This record gives sequence, C-alpha cells and structure tokens, in this order.
Amino acid sequence: MRILDKARLRLRSLCRRPKVEFELEAELRFHLDQLIEENISSGMPPEEARRAAQRIVGGIAQYKEECRDMRRINFVGDLVQDVRYTIRSLAKSAGFTGVVVATLALGIGANTAIFTIVHGVLLRPLDYPKPDQLMYLTAESPAIGGTRNALSAPEYTEFRQMNQSFAAVGAYSTGGAAYTTGEVNLTAGDRPLRVRSISVDAHLLKALRIQPEQGRFFSDEETARWTGTLPPPIAILSHELWRTAFGGRPLVGQKVEIEGRPHEIVGIMPPGADVMDNHTQVWLPLWLHPSTARQRGVHVLFVIARLKDGVTLEAGQTELNAFVKDWGERVGTKDHVPTNRPLRAVDHTLQLRPLQDAIVGNASRPIWVLQAAVGFVLLIVCANLANLAMARAGSRRREFVLRAALGASRGRLLRQSVTEGAVLAGAGGILGLWLAGAGVRALIRAYPTSIPRTSELTLDLPVLLVALGLSTGTALLFGFVSLGRRRTSSSMVTALKEGARGTSGAWRHYARRGLVIAQVAFAVMLVIGAGLLVQSVYNLTRIDAGFDRSRLVTFSMTLPMANSDPDTRAQAYQRVLERLRSVPGVLGTVAMSGLPPNRTPDAIATPIGNYTSDDGRPFEIIDYYQFVMGDYFGTMGIPIVAGRGFERTDNASQGKVAIVNETLAKRIWKGQNPIGQRLRPPAGSFAANDDVWHTVIGVAKDVRQRGVEHPAGTELYVSLDQHAVSPPSMNVVMRTTLLPAALSGTIERVVREVDTTVPVVRLRDMDSVFAESIRRPRLLAQLLGAFAGLALLLAAIGTYGVLSFMVTERRREIGIRIALGAVRSHVLTQIMKQGLRVTAMGVAIGLAGALALNRLIASLLFGVQPTDTVTIAFVIATITAVAVVASWLPAWRASRVDPNIVLRDE
Amino acid sequence: MAKPTDLVQGTLDLLILKTISLESKHGWAIAKRIQQVSHEALQVQQGSLYPALHRLEQQAWIKAEWRPTETGRMAKFYSLTRSGRKQLERELANWVRLSTAINIVVQEA
Repeated sequence: MRILDKARLRLRSLCRRPKVEFELEAELRFHLDQLIEENISSGMPPEEARRAAQRIVGGIAQYKEECRDMRRINFVGDLVQDVRYTIRSLAKSAGFTGVVVATLALGIGANTAIFTIVHGVLLRPLDYPKPDQLMYLTAESPAIGGTRNALSAPEYTEFRQMNQSFAAVGAYSTGGAAYTTGEVNLTAGDRPLRVRSISVDAHLLKALRIQPEQGRFFSDEETARWTGTLPPPIAILSHELWRTAFGGRPLVGQKVEIEGRPHEIVGIMPPGADVMDNHTQVWLPLWLHPSTARQRGVHVLFVIARLKDGVTLEAGQTELNAFVKDWGERVGTKDHVPTNRPLRAVDHTLQLRPLQDAIVGNASRPIWVLQAAVGFVLLIVCANLANLAMARAGSRRREFVLRAALGASRGRLLRQSVTEGAVLAGAGGILGLWLAGAGVRALIRAYPTSIPRTSELTLDLPVLLVALGLSTGTALLFGFVSLGRRRTSSSMVTALKEGARGTSGAWRHYARRGLVIAQVAFAVMLVIGAGLLVQSVYNLTRIDAGFDRSRLVTFSMTLPMANSDPDTRAQAYQRVLERLRSVPGVLGTVAMSGLPPNRTPDAIATPIGNYTSDDGRPFEIIDYYQFVMGDYFGTMGIPIVAGRGFERTDNASQGKVAIVNETLAKRIWKGQNPIGQRLRPPAGSFAANDDVWHTVIGVAKDVRQRGVEHPAGTELYVSLDQHAVSPPSMNVVMRTTLLPAALSGTIERVVREVDTTVPVVRLRDMDSVFAESIRRPRLLAQLLGAFAGLALLLAAIGTYGVLSFMVTERRREIGIRIALGAVRSHVLTQIMKQGLRVTAMGVAIGLAGALALNRLIASLLFGVQPTDTVTIAFVIATITAVAVVASWLPAWRASRVDPNIVLRDE
Repeated sequence: MAKPTDLVQGTLDLLILKTISLESKHGWAIAKRIQQVSHEALQVQQGSLYPALHRLEQQAWIKAEWRPTETGRMAKFYSLTRSGRKQLERELANWVRLSTAINIVVQEA
C-alpha cells in the first residue's frame, strides 16, 4: 500500500509540477505571513516586521529547492534541465557541435560497419546445427606443391566407411566429370539461365543437417550406388531460384531442363541453404564417371565431416593421420601420390580444418586489418573529442567555477558535462549507425563476391550493442574530460581570477599536445598502411599479363554435354565463331578453354617423350592446358618467341601439333631446343578419342593464368581446330573496337541461332576481367585509403585546434612582443615551428609503430616491401604538408595580432 | 528508502510525527507547538521544517490537505497516515532506547 502511495506521490510531484510548485510557494508564503503577523502583534511596525521576518526566513528559494530535493524529483527535473541547457548551448555553438557530431558519426559509423563484417563473417557461427562440429577435409601433397586439394573418390569412400570419430562424412563437387565449372544451363520457361550448381551426395546433407523445405533429398541409390552412364536426371532448387525464376509455383515432381536434359525437381531447399559459400542455386546428385571413381590420383571431391559429440578436432586429426599412414599398404597402391620415390608419410596427408575457417579462408586477415584501422580512426576521433572538450572546457572554466562557487556540487557539474557528452554521442551514434547501414549495403552491392558470407551480413544485436558501447564510452570520456580535474577551493579562486585572462594550467598544454602527437602517430601508421596497399594495387594493375588486353570483349557459353558429342560441339562453336567474325568492327574472334588471367589450374600429368623427371617420372604435371580455336596468338596478342603459331594448314595434317610456354620449355627441356619435342596430353582432358603424341612447333610468351599476382605456371596449347572436337564450355574472345553493350544483341542472336538453350554469360571487356581479378586487394586499399584520409583530416583538425587555441591564449603576450618590436614573420615562424615540432614527434612515433605493425600486412602486399622508402617518404611529405597548412592558419592569425587592440582589451 | 538520518534529523521527524498525532496541523502551527511544549528550548527553523515535512509526505507517513485556518486563510494541514502512526511508534521506541542508553552512559561516567 505504502509503495503505491509513494509511487502516486512521486508521480504527482513529477507530472503535476506546476501545481506542486504553486502549493509549495503558498505554503511558505503562509509561514512568512504568520511570522509577520506575530512580529506585528508583538509591537513592531509593519514594514520592520516584514523585514525581520524575511531575515529569519532567509532564502525562500533555497528552501524550495530543498523541499524539491526531498521530493526526489530533482533527478529527473535536473536531467530535463540539463538536456535543455545542453541543446541550447550546443545550438549556440553550432560549429563545435557540427564538428563533434560529424567526427563521432564517422568514427562510430566506420567502426560499426567494419564490425558488422567482422561479426557476420568471422565471429558468427555458421548457420548449421552445432556448426563447431563441422570440419573441412583437404589432401596435402607437398611433394608436388599441392595444398588444400580435393580428395580422390576412393580416399573419400574408404574413410567414410572406416572412421570412428565422425558422425557423418559427406562430399560435394562443383566441377568433376559431369559439370565443369560449378555452373549449369537451366531453362526456366523459355529463358535460358546460367545458374550456380553443386553436386552433393546424401551423406553431405546428413553431415550438415539440412533438410529440403519441400520434397525430398537424393537417396544413396541416386548418388553413391548409381550405375548409369550419366548422372540421374533429378535436381533440388534453392528457395531463392525457385522464387525468382519460377515465381514460387508448385514445382516438385515436375521437369525442368538442365544442361539440355529434362530433370525432375525432387525438392526445394530452405531459404539461405548453401555449402561453402558457393551461392548454390541448384543442387544435383553427385556422380562420378566410373573411371574417375576408381582413380586414386584424381582429386575431385571436397569433403565435409561432422565430428561425433565430444570428439575434438585433435582426436579426429589423429585418426585421419593413422588412416593415411598405412593406406598404401592396406590398399596395395601408392598411385594417389604422383611420385616414383619411396613414399614418405609427409608426401600425402589429410588435413582437418574447422569449416568456418575454410569458408572465410584468407579473407580474415584483410578484415582484421580493416578492424584495426577503424580502431585507430576511433582512437583519433576520441583524441580529437578530448581535445575539443578541453578547449571548450577551457573557455567555459569560469562558468563551471562560478557554478561551483554558487553551490553546485561536483556531481551535479559532472552530470551536466556527461549529459552534454551523451547528447553529442547520441546524435553521433544515430548518425553513425545510419552511415554504417548504408555503408555495408553499398559495400555488398559494389563487391558482391569479395567478402565471404555477405548474404548473412546484417546490423544485428551484437553490432548494435557495440555501437551503443562506443557511443556511451565517448559520452563518458567527453564528460569527464570537459570537466577536468577536481579543484580545491583555493584553486577555484585562482581559476576565477585566471579565468578572466583565459589561460589554463600547464598539464592541459601537455595533455593536448600529447593527444595531437598520438593523433598524428596513428594517422601516420594508417596512411603508410594505405599507401603500401595502394602501391600494391597500382603494381597489380600494371602487371603485364602476357597478352594485349586492350579492346578485347569476352563471353562464355556452355553447350550441353548430355545431348551433344565432341564433334557436333566443335561444329557449333565453329559456327558461332564464324558468324561473329563477320560482324563489322570485329577484328578477330577466338575461343579458349580457360580465360586468362583468372582461371583454375588443371594440373594434368602429361607424358613427355625422352624425358625423366628429377624423381624418376616419365611425365610432368603441367599446370594449365589451353585448348584454343582460331588464330589464338594473333588475336590475343601473345608473342611467339620461338618456332611458329598454329596455322590453318595444320588442320588437315595428320601429325598433331602443340605449343608450349616459356616456363614449360625452360623447366622440361632446360636450354635444349623445345621445337620438335613430343608430349602426349591425355585425351580425356579435352574430349578427344585417343591419347596421341603432339609435336612442339612453337614457344609462346608466358601468360598469367591464376590471378595477375601469381607467376605464370607451365602451359600447353592444343589446337581444337586440328582435332575437330570441343569440351562443353568455352570462352570466346573478340578483338573489336565495339563495346560489350553494343555487341550483346548480336552475340545473343548468334548463340541462339546455334542453340536456343544456351545462355550467354559473363559478357564484358577484358579490363573488367582484370579488375575482377584484383577486386579484393582493391577493396582493401580503397577502404583503408578512405580511413587513412579520414585519419589525416582528423589529425589536421587536431593540430589546427591546438595551435589556434594556443594562439588565442597567448594573444596578449604576442601583442606585447609585437609592440616591443618583434618582427611579425618571426612570430609566424615561431608558432609554425611549434605545430611542426608536435607533428614531427607524432611522425617519429607513427613510423616506429608502422614498422612494428606493417609486417602484419606484408602478406597483403604485392611488389612493395613493408619498409618501402618511397611510400614512407611520400607519407611523411603528405603529413608534413597537411601539418604546414594546419599550423599556418593560426600562426598567420598570431602574426596579424594588433597590439593596440590586445592591450586595450586588458 | 529513507535517507540515513542523523540524530537531529531523526529527532525532528519524531517531533513532527508526535505533534500531529493528535490533530492535523499546518507547518507554522507545528513549529509553534514544538516551541511551546518544549518551553522554547527547541526552535524549529523553517529551513529544516518544510523539507522534513515534504520528505515525510513523500514517504507516505503523513498526508497533507488544504483547509482554512481559524482566520479563514487556506493552509496546508498535515496529519498522520496509518503507516505514519506505525512509524511514530517505531521512532518513539527508538528514542526511548537511545535516550535511556545515553542517560546511562552520561550518569555512569
């Protein structure tokens, strides 16, 4: 009951404030009147009686305040008052407020955005039940330089059957024998689409524990025990593809054309279901050609395993090691390792990694680098805020001291300062959150594939908590700094006196200078890091990939494998190429199996005539096979350095010919003449009929294949014109003066004339292909560059702020010195020297920090050392230039000081 | 809920509660009454009286209503609530215990 009464009273005090106030006034007035009356009745004249009474009663206002305190409403009342006062005083100094809020918004926004990525990509567990049990299995063959390879089919099945540590082991393939690129042609209505595909077996979904949303999953009979010569014609669609391409209409049980063959849709996956960030749109049953399924040297399966409850990664790894160790003896073969030496244990191992690590891969370092960078930016922001707060506190010292002298408690003043901080941080935080949301969305739009797991990125609760924490932290910091140290009553007097002249204590000078030094130091570190990355990206764009990339337009197409044989495919491609060659403005048209500079390695063991490798093999692993149609070297602009290129006359000749690149010639024939040597590429690699010996007729200049930053590997060129066969997928490249947009209609018409089910994909110019290949370093450099620019700007504002504050404080001294005959230019250089000294200290500390930290980004750099003197010199020059500008303004103002005015002000 | 009260403040609460336990009074009358009963020994200053009244009211130990005085002027009259009466008993018991203890100490020493 009493609690209710109390609550009612408190509420009344709060909500019916005017009434309560009025009553208080009346009550005290009544008391005063009674006192006056008493005085009069004791014989005092009325006027005197009133004065005496008022003397006794004293400050009515003070009693009122105490009564209000007793009503406990002051806390809320004060808060409202504080907020109002804050908003009024902030509105009055709009410049200050704007700078603080903008700075905060940028700092909090950048941090929230990057933390969204850190959290969504690196920290948040995968969207499967018990995701920490999921492991990714890779085969390591250091002897031939192969790491993180797929497993061979026998390895996979034997391990699945024999293991003890895993609850389920499943496999998938994005390439393999059936589909070559992790993409398939799919016809939705009459529209041919190219969609992302994955081939999985029944065990994989058991391991991941995902269930189709509708329909069923593939059975063991349709995957592992399938004996047909083609994969079973069934498929599961992703929820997203089902909605967008088929409008979400009932589809299970119906037929959809995939790769030119009708497939029954047996299920629809739940929204967001995926494997290894593959952006899977269609799930197909895993099927291997019987010969592939038997071969231990053919590594085609990616394996995901779920540990049993309570089994650790180490225990699983121990079992794997034991399994691989006596594998050779157990199965009586060692052909899973392509070496003729006695097999050593280290030559072939299976390695477990948490699935999340495998998905994130090498994206984690750039993301942490960015997080560190925005952390630095936030520190600079805080230093700037502290500086601004101090400057403001300096100019408001008198106000605070006066309020303290009038009886405001320190707590009360602190509350006022913190309220001010909270209002600023609140505004900055809200703006920052908005910036972060917009930033992350823009980032995903601009770079959809540069960051893993982007489909899962959201500003969720942990991210919001971090943003809230950042805002609260800065609010408190701001509040405490702007109030400054506790003052004794004697120092208060000094402060009041000093305040008149507006100077401040020495510690403030040191603190503020320290903050600027720290700002400059952090900015130096960031700018050097960004400079190195920008230099790396510049180096990447300048790489000569080995061919003339200007005025090239490319697209890719895949003829369905199921209902076409190699010969008809070759004819179809020839028809497409012929028709494109006749288009006005097209100078040359060729086709190739792998588009440089961004293709996956083939790594095909190729027998070589009269050859024995260092470890006794009659063959060599060739990194890239390039199957070409047309005048490949002429159109691509790849120089032939020895011998000749393919010629039309070759097509009719019986002897098959090949061209090798410089690296292959050097590695295999080591200074001998490569022309006339022989190799025997396996027929299966390009759908030919028999393995035949090819004679080398020329050596081509190296072309970068696996990303521009990687050195060219060994490469073998075979002319498909001579063999009159073709693999299903080819990349067409045209040398033309036209733009891709101008050609798209023509290209689509030409392809449709040849096959209506085949979509034209990835139509673009070669420059886009290059940009794509360096998208991640470029994204990192751009973001880091933006953060570094922000840091530089903030540091400049900091330097400027401190100097101009100092000049304001020393106006009088400067005025007197000028009056006594000091030369104005002297004053200018002196002030500037102070600014530059602070900058120099910051640069020195920042350089030391950068040298210590830059090895962390060494792995992200290309063609530039972390200690690159040119970059560092450039950074120092930039920062010095910025510091000169930031110092010059206040210094110039100091030199313009008019002694007459300053001295008269006193 | 109540603020820790020192002796003087605690006593003032007791004096107020006791004074209005028989009939409701306004602030002026409370002060006068305490003065008279204590033979002018206790002078309650307005500066402590009214904050104390507001605190007691906020604690729901006393309640206030506006009524005309004998002279017809409106004044704020305070009276005890039920929980105020209990509080008075507690304060009285406390006071007796405390004053007895102090007496013993003072006389023994």
